[in-house]
Amino acid sequence: MVCAVVSARVSPNFVEKIHTVRIMPSEAETLDLNVVADFICGACMCLPGIIVAESGDFYNQEIWRVRSILGRDFKYPETIAERTLIEMAHHISVAGRRLIIEPGEDNNR
Amino acid sequence: MNEEKTAVLLMRENPSKSPDPYKMDELRGLAKAAGYKVLAEIKQRRERDHRFQIGMGKIAEAQSYHPTKLIFYNPLSPSQVFNIRSEFSAQVLDRFNLILEIFASRASTREAKLQVDLARLSYDAPQVRSELALKTRGEQPGFRGAGAYEQSMYHDIRGRMAKIKSELKDVETMSEDRRQKRREQGFDLVALAGYTNAGKSTLLNALTGSGVEAQDQPFTTLSPTTRALEIKGRRVLLTDTVGFIDDLPHFLIKAFHTTLSEIAEADLVLLVADLSDPAELLHSKMVASHKALWDCQVTAPIVTVLNKVDRLSEGEASMKEELIRDLAPNPVMVSAFSGSGLVELKECIYQRLQPLQEYQIRLPNTSEGLSRLSRLYETAELLSVSYGEELVVKLRGKGEAVARLKIESSDSQAKD
Repeated sequence: MVCAVVSARVSPNFVEKIHTVRIMPSEAETLDLNVVADFICGACMCLPGIIVAESGDFYNQEIWRVRSILGRDFKYPETIAERTLIEMAHHISVAGRRLIIEPGEDNNR
Repeated sequence: MNEEKTAVLLMRENPSKSPDPYKMDELRGLAKAAGYKVLAEIKQRRERDHRFQIGMGKIAEAQSYHPTKLIFYNPLSPSQVFNIRSEFSAQVLDRFNLILEIFASRASTREAKLQVDLARLSYDAPQVRSELALKTRGEQPGFRGAGAYEQSMYHDIRGRMAKIKSELKDVETMSEDRRQKRREQGFDLVALAGYTNAGKSTLLNALTGSGVEAQDQPFTTLSPTTRALEIKGRRVLLTDTVGFIDDLPHFLIKAFHTTLSEIAEADLVLLVADLSDPAELLHSKMVASHKALWDCQVTAPIVTVLNKVDRLSEGEASMKEELIRDLAPNPVMVSAFSGSGLVELKECIYQRLQPLQEYQIRLPNTSEGLSRLSRLYETAELLSVSYGEELVVKLRGKGEAVARLKIESSDSQAKD
């Protein structure tokens, strides 16, 4: 799997500035909450600010629970800008997956 | 005889989620808006019961009040509706059907009626399909039958949905043409959006001095209502729209696409919020509004109108504004009821509208050219006109209005 992290400054309805884009591949036997949390936490290392991720990524767990697992400030997307960023990270992760994990697949098509 | 409609409200809370006391309040408000007298409210914190959604004992307790209907907050599956009806001989509604009932009672325009019909059919189609599947389970078509089941009902629904969709598409094209025409006439389009019962219609009345129906209940407005307004010489059309509500199924938003496109296509969106709500509720309503705006694919700038500020003290109002600062772009505190803050809001609207561009155009010095010039006085701000062999006009206005003029000029030149 591939995790894409976009670090940005946002206003309520616009993405003001993108600071960093990070793509991290990883392999795991299972996809339980702890594996996903460790993966996301590792990908966001050294990046300041609040982690925003889709509720499905954390199996729709309550925010307070995800916060305590991650040990960092966390929230689900609320504003239009946060949703835009999540969408952006999705596109990057899909493209990154094709680039890193399935390099031969496009050539075979 | 007109019998009073009574209801008992039931809600199942998920044990893995924190309790939300405002959900029941919202359901009560919706039930009252639909004309039901609420006899009792019953909550249960448990996992979903696959047969009845909530515990049997709670349904029996609700039935002891002898209500006309049992209204569930949680969505009910067709088999759950069937089970509750057959075991308790009770009429049931879930939150989504309740909202549809309100919509159906308020829909006055053809467009609104079509949208409500489409939403109901979109909801009914899978339900009818699964009911037919339940009915025909274990049976073999053929012997003494026509060899077919009541599949036609499902196909009829699909057919009607397709017909309504094509009619709504015509309405949408018409609305799009109307918006384009209004832009060409030099109007800026501003849409009022926000959670239901936030005071959008009252704000429209306060800003434009019109008498649109406004009541302290959810979903008073269903169809878009537009009124004109002039702010510092800029002509603005303010459109009131249907309110948002949390946890709505995606197909209802799709059914109301025509109405919501008024928000998506606006030059500026006024996101109205009820500041008198408790902080937690205000936050969740703002999140729901942002989600709805995201679903509408709004790209226009947003001004947040924090309404009903007259119900709060100054300290409370600024504390709440601070709490939702991350969710409220360009906040302006307003009371549509008392009229305070309306001047600041108009100033904010003026500042956030795209500035008008300056153009220089040439028109033929003929009677046709002069008539076009006189029309320009209505659609744009004329800075200077020099009369010679050609009319050289310097103006400030919307790009669409100037583009329209250029098309007309090239058409007339082609004719010559």
